Amino acid sequence: MSKWQSFRMMALAASTSLFAGAGAQAADLVIAMPNWSSGQATANILKVALKKEFGVEADAVEMGTLIAFAGLNSGTVDIHPEVWLPNLDNLVKQYVTDAGTVAISPVGVPAWQGICANRTAADKYGIKDISDLSDPKKTAAVDTDGDGRGEMWIGAQTWSSTSIERIRANSYGYAKTVTLLEMPEDVGMAAVDAAEATEQPVVFGCYAPHAVFKLHDIVRLTEPPYDPAKWQIVLPSEDPAWETKSSAPVGWDTAHYHIAYATALRKEHPEIVKFLERVDFKPEESTEMSYALQVERQDPYEFAQQWVTKNDARVKGWAKP
Amino acid sequence: MNVNPEGAKTCSGGGRGGLQRFSLAKAAILLATGLAFSVGVALAAGTQVYNPKTGQWTNYDRTQAYKYYRTHKQVPESFRMQVVKFRTAEQPGTIIIDGNQHFLYLVQPGQKAIRYGIGVGRDGFGWAGIVRVGRTAEWPTWTPPAEMVARDPNARKWAKGQPGGPDNPLGARALYLYEGDQDTIYRIHGTPEPWTIGLDVSSGCIRMNNDDIVDLHSRIQVGAKVIVLMQGAALYKGV
Repeated sequence: MSKWQSFRMMALAASTSLFAGAGAQAADLVIAMPNWSSGQATANILKVALKKEFGVEADAVEMGTLIAFAGLNSGTVDIHPEVWLPNLDNLVKQYVTDAGTVAISPVGVPAWQGICANRTAADKYGIKDISDLSDPKKTAAVDTDGDGRGEMWIGAQTWSSTSIERIRANSYGYAKTVTLLEMPEDVGMAAVDAAEATEQPVVFGCYAPHAVFKLHDIVRLTEPPYDPAKWQIVLPSEDPAWETKSSAPVGWDTAHYHIAYATALRKEHPEIVKFLERVDFKPEESTEMSYALQVERQDPYEFAQQWVTKNDARVKGWAKP
Repeated sequence: MNVNPEGAKTCSGGGRGGLQRFSLAKAAILLATGLAFSVGVALAAGTQVYNPKTGQWTNYDRTQAYKYYRTHKQVPESFRMQVVKFRTAEQPGTIIIDGNQHFLYLVQPGQKAIRYGIGVGRDGFGWAGIVRVGRTAEWPTWTPPAEMVARDPNARKWAKGQPGGPDNPLGARALYLYEGDQDTIYRIHGTPEPWTIGLDVSSGCIRMNNDDIVDLHSRIQVGAKVIVLMQGAALYKGV
C-alpha cells in the first residue's frame, strides 16, 4: 500500500499494530512509522539521527495515522515523519489548531499528482498534454480491448482521489474518449510494468514522489494550473449526485508532507524540536527511499544507517547548525 | 503437491469479492485484441504475428496457429518461454498476467522475468485483480461444468470427472487461484492443444503449454501473488 492510498482512503483504517510493547517503553521517544516505504525510511532516518546527534533512543513503531495522531495527543507518540497536507487538514485542525498538542514542522516536501504517460505514449503517440486525452485518434493507441477507446487506470476504488480523477475526466472531456479504470494500485502499476516490458503505450493516474519514476521513464502530462475558483469538488460521500455537481478542469493543487511532533517535546527536548523543524527531505530523495525499500527491498533500518552516514554533514546541519 | 481431490472445474464462473468482474463483450470484438510481438505493435487489430523474414504482420487466428504449430512443432517465438527485462516493484515469485498480449510473467530477481505465452478466454478473463496460488495439482482431473455437460455430448461422458492425462483439457499441471481462502474457480493450467497459445480460446482460465506449466509449477510457491491485469478482450466492459 502506498502512502497515497493510505491517506486517500475515505476512512482511515486504524492500524492493529499499535505500540510494540516493551520496546516502545524502553526508548526515550516513539516515532510513528507509516506502512509505506518512504515513511518507513524517514522514520528510521530520524531514529538513527536522534541517536547519533543527541544520544536519544527512539523506537520506530508501525501504526496507522489516526492512532499516531491520538498518540501524539496523549503523549504516547512523539514524532510522525510524514503528515500529508491538505489530505489530513481535519486532523491538523483537531490536534494542532484546536487542542494544541501536536505541532507541524514548517518545512514541507512538495508532492505532485496528475496523469502520466510512458515514453512510448508520449513520443510515439503524442500524448503529452491533458488535452491529448480528448483526441480519440491519440487515445486509440492505449486501447487494449479492441473497442477503439483507450483505457486508463485512475486509482483504487477506495481512494477519494479516484473520484476526483473521474470529475477531472468529465470536466476536461476525456471521459468520453477514454475508459477510466479503478483497481488496486498494484494492478495499475503492474500494467505499467507490462507495458514498459513490451514498449506499449500506457497512460495512468499517478503521483510523486513514487518509485515508478525511478523504475520507468515516465512523463507527466501538462495541464492548466490549479485554480481554486475552478476546483469545485463534491465527493460521493457528500452527495449521490457528486459527478454532476462537480467540476475541475484544472490541475491538482500542490500537496506537501511535513514532520509532526508532540508539542510536549518543546519542553522536554527543545533541541530535537529545532532539529525536526530543519529536516528538509527533497522529493527526489523520497523517490530514492521508496525505490530502495520497495523495489530493492532494503531493510529500512540498514538503509537509514547508510543514508545518515552518507548525508552526515547535512544531518549535522539539521542538528547543530 | 496436491493431487486434485475433487476435480478441477472449468473457468466459466465469475470472480468474487475484491476481484473486478466484467460483463462480456459483444462478439464483434472477440478477436479484436491487439497483440505485440515486438516494438511497434499493431494495436487494436486482430491477433497478429510478425514475420521478420517478410517484415509483415500476419493474422494469427486458430487456423493460422494450427498451421504454424504443425509446421514448426512449436508456437511462434514470442510465445515461447524466455527471460526478459521486467522492471517492477513486485517481489520475485509474483505472477503477472497480461491477457491482452497473451503473456504471463514470473518475476525474477534483478529486474527480470520469465515470460510465457498463454491462451486466454474467448471473452477475455472477465475479471482482473489480485489473487494467489491457493494450491496446485499434477495431471489434475477435469470436471466439466453442468452447462457444458448439457450442451456438449463430448463433455457428457466426463460429467463425473476426466482423469488426468495427455488428453485432459487441464494438461500437466494446474495452479488454483484463490482470493483469500476462497477458490475463485479460475486456474492457470496446461493444455493438450499447444497451438492455442496466443489465442483467445479458453473458458476464462489461463492456459499454457504443458512444458511451460510444468516449468512454472516447479518455480512457484503455494501462496504466490498473482496479478491479473485489466488489459484483455472484454475486461473493461462494465467498469
